[in-house]
Amino acid sequence: MAVQHAATEVGHLETSTGLDNRKLLMWLFLASECLFFGGLIGTYLLYRNSSVAGPARVDIYDIPFTSISSFILLMSSVTMVLALAAIQRDDRRGVQIWLMATALLGMTFLAGQAFEFTVFYREGLTLSSSLFGTTFFVLTGFHGAHVSVGVLILLSLYVMGTQGRLTKKQSLNVELVGLYWHFVDVVWIVIFTLVYLIQT
Amino acid sequence: MLDLLLAGGVKGFFENPGYLLGVPLIALGVIGALLVLAPFELAWPVRRQAGAGAGTEEAETDTHVEALAEGHPSPEMYIKVGLFLAIITAIEVALYYIPGFADGALLGLLLALSGLKFVVVGLWFMHLRFDSGLFSTLFTGGMVLVVMLMFVLLSTLGASLV
Repeated sequence: MAVQHAATEVGHLETSTGLDNRKLLMWLFLASECLFFGGLIGTYLLYRNSSVAGPARVDIYDIPFTSISSFILLMSSVTMVLALAAIQRDDRRGVQIWLMATALLGMTFLAGQAFEFTVFYREGLTLSSSLFGTTFFVLTGFHGAHVSVGVLILLSLYVMGTQGRLTKKQSLNVELVGLYWHFVDVVWIVIFTLVYLIQT
Repeated sequence: MLDLLLAGGVKGFFENPGYLLGVPLIALGVIGALLVLAPFELAWPVRRQAGAGAGTEEAETDTHVEALAEGHPSPEMYIKVGLFLAIITAIEVALYYIPGFADGALLGLLLALSGLKFVVVGLWFMHLRFDSGLFSTLFTGGMVLVVMLMFVLLSTLGASLV
């Protein structure tokens, strides 16, 4: 009975694939998110040169600043995966440290994005000033919203850790959050190249 | 049939909105048919039976957690991969500032480096290299659809990266 209960609680032993359904669902969700961001990036690529008003892309992008932001988000993926490694060896202090580091790096990225948006706004690029502005803000804004959600989940995990509710048994929770976080990172890898570096 | 489809050239093919949905659906259908007719079986992971070999709830959970962590890289490896990604990012930014680079060459290099970073994060940080192939299939399926979506969208509406 105890074993049966454990199997149900762990939730992956009785599935037809032998895989944990929560992890399978997360991957399905990420696959659907690919199309979501694919649509937004495609729309940006279509309309980025269609503007007749407002500042042009080459005039307002600050590549060194965005490069640092990208580097910060990339490094947050490293701290996230170190949090997973820590919980898998039941290092509770380690997982707390790496989760908080990931959340802080995510918040730094968001602060950079808020700063960038403010600068663009002051230079005349708004959500409604041009097609470039609309597609740029919608794409990067939705990405920022995803990062924000990720930070909230990370902080929730951190709080669970402080209450002693984040142990080796819950390592799958950290792994699922990690998958989401790494996905947000790979989306930014694509955005950084297609939106910022390729300016033709 | 082919003449009819390609009457307006490759671009003309994509100007028909009917193909906008048709091309991805036909491709999916072909992939599905190939999987069904393939002379091999898809090797899904074997289901593990509850209670087999474990005596207590604690032991069962530990087995599960160890199975999840099985084959995952060490923290040192994660840091090495992170450094590799940082170096690639630095190269991307450096390429951006090199004067006189032909647009096409720069575009190709930047896309290749971006793709490399994408794959490395997916394989090592998201553990696609170590986990069930079903996860890779799902994610790759999403990516294939995205590439098709982009191709059809940009071809139809005449946008170009260069």
